[in-house]
Order: sequence, then C-alpha cells, then structure tokens
Amino acid sequence: MTTGLQITTPTDTTIVLTRSFKTTRRFLWEAMTSPDKMKRWMLPPPGLTLAVCEVEPRVGGTLKLAWKSAEADPAMTLHGEWTEFAPHDRMVHTETMTLGTGQPLVSLVETHEFTEAGGATQMRITQTYKSREDRDGALAGGMDEGMEACYRQLDAVVAR
Amino acid sequence: MVSVDRSPRLDLVFHALAHPARRAIVRQLSLGERNLSELASPLKMTFPAATKHVRVLEGAKLVRRRIVGREHLCRLLPEPLKEAMMWTGSFREHWEARFAVLDSVLDEMAVEAQSRSKRKTP
Repeated sequence: MTTGLQITTPTDTTIVLTRSFKTTRRFLWEAMTSPDKMKRWMLPPPGLTLAVCEVEPRVGGTLKLAWKSAEADPAMTLHGEWTEFAPHDRMVHTETMTLGTGQPLVSLVETHEFTEAGGATQMRITQTYKSREDRDGALAGGMDEGMEACYRQLDAVVAR
Repeated sequence: MVSVDRSPRLDLVFHALAHPARRAIVRQLSLGERNLSELASPLKMTFPAATKHVRVLEGAKLVRRRIVGREHLCRLLPEPLKEAMMWTGSFREHWEARFAVLDSVLDEMAVEAQSRSKRKTP
C-alpha cells in the first residue's frame, strides 16, 4: 500500500515531502533520475509544456530543464547540478529556476533519500531555500488560474 | 509550483502562526470569543505576555479585539486562515498529482520487468 503524502516545514527555510511507493528503491531511483520517466511525472505548471529534459546522473553532472508556452520558448528554465549521488540511497542537487526573460525565480537545494522496507520504498525530499520568503513563495506556488480566481474572490470578501 | 507570488499579508499570517503560544490562542479562539485572562491562564502566561501575542495575531488580521468595560474580548477572524490553508493546499495538490503519475510509471516498470524476466526463462 502506498501511504499519503506528508508535507512538513521543520525550519523556516525548508519543506520536507515524504511519500511511500509500492516499489523497490531501484525502480524509484530510476524513475526519479531518467529523463524519459521524469518527463512523465514532472507535471508542468498550467499552460507550460516540458520541452527540454537533459540530466547527467552523477556527482558534478548537470540538470537542464526548459518549459515552453504558447508565447515563449523557453518560458522557464531549471538549471542545477548534482552534488551527491549515491544510487538507490541518496542524492542531492542544486536547482535555479529562471523565467524565459532571464528573471531569476528561486534557487534551492533538493535532497532525496530512499528507504526500502516491507515491499515499499519511502522517499523523503527535503527542499532547502535561501530564505523564508523564498520558502513561503514556493508553498504559495502551484496555483493555477482557478486558484487565482479564488483568491480574487476571497480578496473581495475580505475587503467587504 | 514556481510562480513567485509575493504576499505581504500571508507573510504576516505565517509569521503569526510560527509560535506555539499563538497557535494555542488560535485554537482556543476557534471555540469562541475569549477575554485576555481566559487566553493567558491555560498558557501559564502573564497578562502582558498574552497581550503581546494577541497583538501579533491582530497584526495578521487573525484576531479582532474589542474592549467592553475592563474586558478585552478576542475573536478569531477566519479569512486569513482559510487563505493560508489554500496556499499550502495548492502546493500539496501539485505534488500529489505528480506522485500519482509516478505511481503509474512505477507500475508500468514492474510489468515490463516481469515480462522481461518471463521472456528470459521460457
């Protein structure tokens, strides 16, 4: 059985995601590091499609991802580097997200840890941001137009 | 996931909730209006200390205080809390969706591996 996603914020600059998968560490590791698999599960933000996904899975290897929209190619890029790479166990990479216009969005360090027990593998992702503001910004993200419409409605309610 | 949306109002809410005493006050107030000494006593806190925390909550518009005679009555304002929950909720939804796809990618990998091993051992 897979167990639900747990999200915690143990410090002002971190977000920890923990999720269990009904698979082996080897399979999960492969799904997290091979471009053909990453392209499938890394769902893009609304309105964007993943156009580039190049990864060199090794210490010192780079990650290069780019998304495009109807208006811009690239609309957004992610560049990073693996600083730790211990297959099936633990990996750490940096990542910097930038808008197509060159405007930097956010930089963070992401650590993945894998623990296999009882036919399932637990993955723990720790995202470490440069500041609390960046961390809260990431928590604030992921909203689509529907959510934005919701916020506008809420603004109207609050202002009343 | 990556849109950086600055919201000073939410910064205030998250800051206000980043203290156990203030979260305890919010929990108490979720049951109804309370005066300052009712809020202070279960926290084993002095009146001025409780007042300080209530002020932070007021600053985030999580609490409204009204003075009736010598009593300071505090009431919870739910809107900023709802908003804060929506923000974290969207982050969660995004990752839940990703991991749901990852589940099916992993299922396919298992099926492929099985059929490969079957081919090897006729």
